[in-house]
Amino acid sequence: MAEGRVMAEVRRLGPFLAAEMRPKGPVLTPFNLISIPIILLGLGILVVRFTKGLGSVTNLSQESPWGLWIGFDVITGVAFAGGAYVITFAVYVMRLEKYKPIVRATVLNGLLAYVFYAGALTLDLGRPWNIINPIIGNDFGYNSVLFLVSWHFMLYMFAELIEFSPAVAEWLGAKRARRILSGMTVGAVIFGITLSTLHQSGLGALYLMAKPKIHPLWYTEFIPILFLVSSIFAGLSMIILEGTISHRVFSAQVDEKRHAGFEDMLFGLGKGAAIAMFVYYFFHALVFVHDHRWRLIEGFWGAWYLLEIIGLVLVPCFLFAYGVRNRRIGIVRTAAILALLGILMNRLNISVITFNWYSPHHYYPTWQEIVVTLMVIFSEIWVFRWIVLRMPVLRAAHELPSRGTLGTSRREPVPG
Amino acid sequence: METYTYVNIFETKGLEYLLLICFLLLFVLLVRYLRGPHRD
Repeated sequence: MAEGRVMAEVRRLGPFLAAEMRPKGPVLTPFNLISIPIILLGLGILVVRFTKGLGSVTNLSQESPWGLWIGFDVITGVAFAGGAYVITFAVYVMRLEKYKPIVRATVLNGLLAYVFYAGALTLDLGRPWNIINPIIGNDFGYNSVLFLVSWHFMLYMFAELIEFSPAVAEWLGAKRARRILSGMTVGAVIFGITLSTLHQSGLGALYLMAKPKIHPLWYTEFIPILFLVSSIFAGLSMIILEGTISHRVFSAQVDEKRHAGFEDMLFGLGKGAAIAMFVYYFFHALVFVHDHRWRLIEGFWGAWYLLEIIGLVLVPCFLFAYGVRNRRIGIVRTAAILALLGILMNRLNISVITFNWYSPHHYYPTWQEIVVTLMVIFSEIWVFRWIVLRMPVLRAAHELPSRGTLGTSRREPVPG
Repeated sequence: METYTYVNIFETKGLEYLLLICFLLLFVLLVRYLRGPHRD
């Protein structure tokens, strides 16, 4: 009897998924017209990369083995995804319920960022099939930071998948599965926060062994702490930016009540970002004094450093504070953009720009590397949009679709 | 006989302590500023 019911549900799942695969909006949009050619071109470049090797499409060398794909996709992308652990900590641990409406979108964004950006690691490996080695134990490197990072990335993706899975269960109408998965959320959140604090700092620890290669204005033994603290306001700024865009693009998904409370949420996030940036700035100031860096503030690198620390850390910090106090949402959004640019600059400075700064043969990304990076970004946006238009990500969490497939045929409200 | 000694603020890490004290004071001011006239 129960077996028959399951089979009936499985048979209904096929047509449901087929219907969901159809486009939910206009196809010829400016975003589609720009992103589709770039994604197709990027896929073509990847074919060349995997058949002819890294050297055929990148400027990577033995001297500069890590380029744009690691510097932007992994090192920067993972910082931008930090919003997921910050916001789940606020909602599930600190019980700040007012941020609950943005939890799912943030977790989804974080999950996709890890899948796509951290997944871009595979592109950068000369022997990509070896990516599984740290996991299956062919070569456990217990003393390696990469060993920690690779395990953490994998476990964190599972944790975020569990955090997001109630939305998938709601989409499928699987009431019982949703109840079980919701019960696992808090555990997954705590596990995820623990992993995040470790691998956000672990990404910085990767550069501890590159002391002679990184410009002394950017190298410090405190890189792991700076990476962790910067991931907090990077994540918060990303939520502000991504939330602002999502609320405009997917406005039909958001009810009036949530629209009204959205700006208040952004001010709360801006307040958190201002405090985190202030702490981050003083960490930098302490490192600056501790390392006696006055003598290094000269020439191009000195100006470049001041631009990053003053222009893209201290200034957005003040803008956040001013915008929050005076309830100026435009200023908070501007501060978020500047803060993200600051993170981008800092991560690229450490991983690409000042790496081998003394070398006459400096690394510059090829156009193919830039196209593949854009492909990764656009692909993530495509998947994000596909999910948001179908699953209860921005709309109220307790809503169930009118036509379900799995679980129960009765449609009852599910506790949020 | 040495009657006068210099205390190097850099070698004693005095500057770092001063910076930290400034940070703590400014942090309190920032939080008070952020609370502002509009309280949540």
